Amino acid sequence: MIPYIAYLGISAFLFIIGLAIMMSRKNIVAILLGIEFILNAAALNFVTYSKYSAHNLDGHIFALFIIVIAAAEAAVGLAIVIRYFQLKETVHIDEASELRN
Amino acid sequence: MFIWVLFLISALLILGTSVAALVTKNIMHSCIYLLGTLLGISGLYITLNADFVAVTQIMVYVGGIVILMLFAVMLTGGKEFVSKGQQLLGLAPLMGSKSTYVFGLFGALVFGGIFAKLISYIVKLPIDSTEQKIQSTVESIGKLLITDHVLAFELSSVLLLGALVGSAIIARPRRES
Repeated sequence: MIPYIAYLGISAFLFIIGLAIMMSRKNIVAILLGIEFILNAAALNFVTYSKYSAHNLDGHIFALFIIVIAAAEAAVGLAIVIRYFQLKETVHIDEASELRN
Repeated sequence: MFIWVLFLISALLILGTSVAALVTKNIMHSCIYLLGTLLGISGLYITLNADFVAVTQIMVYVGGIVILMLFAVMLTGGKEFVSKGQQLLGLAPLMGSKSTYVFGLFGALVFGGIFAKLISYIVKLPIDSTEQKIQSTVESIGKLLITDHVLAFELSSVLLLGALVGSAIIARPRRES
């Protein structure tokens, strides 16, 4: 049987990779890509604990809802990015400063 | 045995493609590496007896979200704004200077130690190592979704409808008046 700490390690690694992508990239689409990594890490944790600790299927349900919310978030976020590109002709994150002041 | 082989292949796929998605300069390649990572996570779900979640992961992420991100990259040009002289080892489009990384490393070590101490009480969960039989979870998940979790199920349909209509309204080209 695979030790469950392996799944937790992979999940933590994915979370760190997603955080690094979100911090290092300047393109808004790349930042949304980092969010996908982080959501996947959370869903993997839910399914892992559902098998090894809880012995029921609630973790699977949570993972499914995480997938649904990730889909909705990606659709709305990318729509905002495309609309922003139509207005400002750039997707640099530092140019999006209309709400400052 | 099959589970071990699948786990090793999926774990190596995840580790390799996620690091590649971090260090590549081309954002289109980054999306393709995200595809590999999602397929690897789907393999891990199969090793965790979660077949329905694995199939849903492939259908929604690979068939929907990655394609959507590829279209967004293509529609917005896909520039990555790499600034010269601020890269680590010439690979990644990272920010900051060398002192940023040194302080970040020490800070991460300190906070990681504190966090590991805190989490070490939680990790000692009772784990039984009896091998469970692999069986389909689709029927049980369907029953759970319409009995215990029916409110969240209906609310997610409302959320998806709102996201659909909202994104269509946001991305619509407006007439200048």
